[in-house]
Amino acid sequence: MQDKNVSVNNFEQCLKCDICSSVCPMLAANPRYPGPKQAGPDGERYRLKDPAYYDLTLKFCLNCKRCEVACPSGVRIGDIIQTARLKYGRQNRPLRDFVLADTDLTGSLATPLAPVVNRALGCRPVKAVMDRLVGVDSRRTLPSYSGRKFVRWFRESAAHRQLGFRRFVSFFHGCYVNYNFPELGRDFVRIINACGFGVHLLEDERCCGVALISNGFGAQARHQAEINVRSIRKAVSAGEPVVGCSSTCIFTMRDEYDHLLGIDTSDVRDSILLASKWLYDKVESGSVKLVFKSDYHLKVAYHTACHMNKLGWSVYSILLLKMIPGLELIVPEQQCCGIAGTFGFKKENYGYSQEIGKSLFDTLEAISPDIVATDCETCKWQIEMSTDLKVMNPISILAEALDFEKTQKSNIR
Amino acid sequence: MRFDVVIIGGGPAGTGIGLELQRSGLDCLVVSEGLGLEESPRREFVEAGGTLLQGDTVLGGTISEGKVTGVATRNLKGTPIEASCYVLATGRFFSKGLISTMDGIFEPVFGCDVLYDRDSTNWTNPDFYAPQPFEDFGVVTDDQGRVSIGGRTISNLFAAGEVLAGKIGMQTGIERVVNAVLGRK
Repeated sequence: MQDKNVSVNNFEQCLKCDICSSVCPMLAANPRYPGPKQAGPDGERYRLKDPAYYDLTLKFCLNCKRCEVACPSGVRIGDIIQTARLKYGRQNRPLRDFVLADTDLTGSLATPLAPVVNRALGCRPVKAVMDRLVGVDSRRTLPSYSGRKFVRWFRESAAHRQLGFRRFVSFFHGCYVNYNFPELGRDFVRIINACGFGVHLLEDERCCGVALISNGFGAQARHQAEINVRSIRKAVSAGEPVVGCSSTCIFTMRDEYDHLLGIDTSDVRDSILLASKWLYDKVESGSVKLVFKSDYHLKVAYHTACHMNKLGWSVYSILLLKMIPGLELIVPEQQCCGIAGTFGFKKENYGYSQEIGKSLFDTLEAISPDIVATDCETCKWQIEMSTDLKVMNPISILAEALDFEKTQKSNIR
Repeated sequence: MRFDVVIIGGGPAGTGIGLELQRSGLDCLVVSEGLGLEESPRREFVEAGGTLLQGDTVLGGTISEGKVTGVATRNLKGTPIEASCYVLATGRFFSKGLISTMDGIFEPVFGCDVLYDRDSTNWTNPDFYAPQPFEDFGVVTDDQGRVSIGGRTISNLFAAGEVLAGKIGMQTGIERVVNAVLGRK
């Protein structure tokens, strides 16, 4: 339906049915938020007349895009709100927001000092100071940093093993894999190699910029996006799809670059893929074969992250997990976990964040799985902090369940 | 991606048929543009093991020798979606199951045969409260609910709900398709 309209974000297709408000997680938790219809297409009519109508309550939008998935008329409600924030939001942004949003900077500073940083971020006095002075809520468990970046591991230990392949994918590792959890990147490389494909890194990869966008740093986000798109274009023109493990990074590059930052990605968009989609399509078309261990058993609850829901791709991760014999899979109805990237780290939002996620936490705890699977790293942080459950990316579950030796033998070409 | 039945439309007809067929042991996919309003059947459908795509659009289908062989959606680009049977439950004009233009009225997914008055001056009744002729326009089906394209019946494409021509009714339309797909009389 979006293709049939010409106006920006299908703004005038809104019929005021308000189904978007019925699925907005923030509106249910926070009566001060006007809701997606009011903050989006309704408010936009006024803002077009006079920017003075810009309303600071728009900062409560989580940019989860659940409103857009629900809209029967294809109105890009979330995009209208985020564009308004980038365009009219002139409020002073605290240093905290920049530190939270510039994940490349924070990650690069934290990595060499990882043991110290991790201990400091986990200890009470430091958290109390950060709470008071910086505004990062002390009740939140902060992500820990890896002492060795993924890219360093790749260059030192994996790059030479890629030389023997004739077919390649380019890996968009993202900040989480690079600074926080390189294990996921290693699982990815191992799986792709076993499938008979080599892995390349992009010529120059920056943070996708999702946190910069949601914190209002549009210029910096655009700068990083342009570097990424240039690198992606280079990989795609060499015949390599660009594949990642984070639903939010992939979603941001596919849709937000174009819709919010005004960067034309139409020539490469179809080649920016999530690992589970790439893998599923390869297995389905018969060009890749996966062989699983016969003695693997796991009860998994799959949580659809909001951006995964917007991509419409949870079906790929679900069907991929269902291929694993001995894996029992439960898929509850999609709900928001409440963290929304950097949103939930901020002191003023902690309460909303946990209230929004409560229903999901209860649902997952009632299922009582061995593992929660999700394609989003911030959902993982939120669920692990708020429940006793352990969360894994489907790619890591696949790496556990695969018989690598047999898979590798099946994919020699 | 393979299913027993692909249902296009997540409204009352689509979700109703999906739920009944899924419970009868068939593996169903429902593609819903937007959330779909029917919350409880939607949840029951997913709990029964059905696959639901929300916020996605079926862009079109391929037809060969009087049968639908596959469909493609906007979000699942690059993944062929195949099934034994397909159900069109896309609703009427508001949900764009039917499109009216200056040249006529058409069904946008497959180009199914549509029954309507060729003279557009007869489409509406100036009395707002009177029954409106356009309400009876819609996709032509045989007594099992199968549609036709260019006068030829498509053996595995059924239609139900508001997209149907005439006054078949929601429940009758659903039952007809469920019975036909399950091979019941």
